[in-house]
Amino acid sequence: MHLTDHISDVQLNEYLDHEANDRAQVELHLSICENCSARLTALKDLFSEIESLPELEYSQGFSEASLWETARFVSSRNPSTPLPRSLTLAVTLQAALAVIAIIVAAPFVMQFLSPYVAGIPAASFADVFLQLQSQWAAWLAMLSTFQLPRIPEFPRIELSSLFMIFTVIGISLLWLIGNGLLLRNQMK
Amino acid sequence: MSAPSDRDLIQRARRGDAEAFGELVLRHQTSVFNVCYRILHERAEAEDLAQETFIRARERLHTFDEERVFGPWVRRVAANVCLNHLESQKGTAELDEERDADESQRPETQVEVRERSEQIRSALASLPAHYRVVIELRHYQELSYEEIAAELSIPLSDVKSHLFRARKLLAEKLHAPD
Repeated sequence: MHLTDHISDVQLNEYLDHEANDRAQVELHLSICENCSARLTALKDLFSEIESLPELEYSQGFSEASLWETARFVSSRNPSTPLPRSLTLAVTLQAALAVIAIIVAAPFVMQFLSPYVAGIPAASFADVFLQLQSQWAAWLAMLSTFQLPRIPEFPRIELSSLFMIFTVIGISLLWLIGNGLLLRNQMK
Repeated sequence: MSAPSDRDLIQRARRGDAEAFGELVLRHQTSVFNVCYRILHERAEAEDLAQETFIRARERLHTFDEERVFGPWVRRVAANVCLNHLESQKGTAELDEERDADESQRPETQVEVRERSEQIRSALASLPAHYRVVIELRHYQELSYEEIAAELSIPLSDVKSHLFRARKLLAEKLHAPD
């Protein structure tokens, strides 16, 4: 900063706030520059006006009972720190996208299911469980005879397309319900 | 017998002495209420948030460093409570033009002072929330730029620019021709 350079408004603010690093230079310039001195005086006046604001009397007081009442109200109203707005928006967007995806996919799923529904019975939970159990046992048996040079082959699990579709739909619904509950708590 | 110091009262309040905390409230309620009123410019809301400030203070009393002074600490809590309140209400409410209810007869000069004070309060109330809070912390609580940055968790450059813009806006509002 040269001696003849005018002081910026930001520098004047910092100077009056006692936060300027170059106080000596600012003061030197103020001693020769009427324009900057006038701006400094105007800013000082503003500071005085702000700080002249009188304190209002407050004599009503808070009773201990009302403090506890408010404490209960605050804790029931705000049991946890609210989620950031960005997260709430992201969750809302995800939920909206999931709904759209389900709506778009529904006709295709119905079309896909129509030839199977009458002819092929869907695998029951017990069947699937037994199949998985036997696959697991086979895999364990394979592991017990595992030899280093041979890479064990993971047994192929055969699941019907119907089962896969129901699984995907089920997971989507669970996800939607979970997010719905989360948002409902936030909106309360 | 001399009155107990704030430190004594804090120690007793930490041990669960409700009366000691009540005494702390009594001592600091005016300054806390004024912090809230300067930021909110609405009496009922300022009273609610002043009360909430003391509840927060009571919850956080165990984190208070006894080497520090209680008054400035609780006023900072008040500023933060008000800022959170304003952030949660962003864009919903316009601040009311509230006048003091107590309009007793006073000399002319005092009326002028009151009118000017009201103009300053209105000008402050018209600022964006984060500008109001930096003005409160700088001018009324006399925090340094670094302390304000730490208190509000914002960069130092933001403190400088908020203060500069807030003052510029205030000057425009206060010195605008009627």
